[in-house]
Amino acid sequence: MKYILIFSLFVMLASCQSKEEILYQQYVVEGRTLYEQNCANCHQSNGQGLRDLYPALAKTDLWKRVTTQQMVCLIKQGQRGEIKVNGKAYAGYMPANPKLEAIDIAELVTFMQDSWGNKKIYTFDEAKAALKNCR
Amino acid sequence: MIACQEKKSLPFLGPKETKMVNGKVDTVYHQIPAFRFLNQDSVWVSEKDLEGKVYVADFFFTSCPTICPKMKTQLLRIYERYLNNGEVRIVSHSIDPTFDTPSVLHSYAERLQVKAPKWNMLTGDKAKIYQLGEKSYMVTAQEDKNEAGGFVHSGAFILVDKQRHVRGIYDGTKEDEVNHLIEDLEILLNEKP
Repeated sequence: MKYILIFSLFVMLASCQSKEEILYQQYVVEGRTLYEQNCANCHQSNGQGLRDLYPALAKTDLWKRVTTQQMVCLIKQGQRGEIKVNGKAYAGYMPANPKLEAIDIAELVTFMQDSWGNKKIYTFDEAKAALKNCR
Repeated sequence: MIACQEKKSLPFLGPKETKMVNGKVDTVYHQIPAFRFLNQDSVWVSEKDLEGKVYVADFFFTSCPTICPKMKTQLLRIYERYLNNGEVRIVSHSIDPTFDTPSVLHSYAERLQVKAPKWNMLTGDKAKIYQLGEKSYMVTAQEDKNEAGGFVHSGAFILVDKQRHVRGIYDGTKEDEVNHLIEDLEILLNEKP
């Protein structure tokens, strides 16, 4: 009974949400799955990174310093050579993710922003446009 | 009920042979053969360095984009847990020795904040590494251009006893499997030769 109550409360709440909010939640949920599949191996589920080998994503200056445009290209094309996170230099490289399409990247960036950056949707159209600007 | 109360012992994995010793039939268990590879400090490491040690072996490469980071996260748990136990070792073989030179392994180990001889990262002749992986540790390790990163390999952790017998193989990407490995490792530590 308790669960039915909670569930109906959830449904009511959900129905109160605007279309934008529902889309945002969808992006976050999908993005979390994509993060687990493509990123968490190295950056860990909680975004803490792995010692000095793989940089953290949570609580880092990345979200202030790196634009979403740069973030999109970094995810799609990978990274070679040094990158500084919170002032510490990481030397390794990050593999490219050629299989991730604009919608995946939009969801992934939305999830990461929701967890560690500004809680703001990164739309499919924005991702599509940004991908065109990657070299 | 009785079986549950018995002290657990681990099987001997791999091909067995029987031979006659002084008129008695004796079983000869599969054993990791002699080997010699360079570690992350450019020091030769051989089976002699593992005498009387229980060790966990795995195969990886430093530029691996897929399962290796997960495996290393799990090996770190073992490393930390047995940091002060001289009877436990970790041996990670690179399957990409062309790229993973001792200096590359050194930087990798340093960034992972781990040290030899507790955790040896080994590199050397590619054919010998693959042969050791497939024939001795009974896991897959080979080049494959179609795989992400260019190599196909299993995420297995191989548990080896003090006489270099393989006593367990676990999925090194799964936390609960590695919990199981740690339980088994404790059994091996208490085993009398």
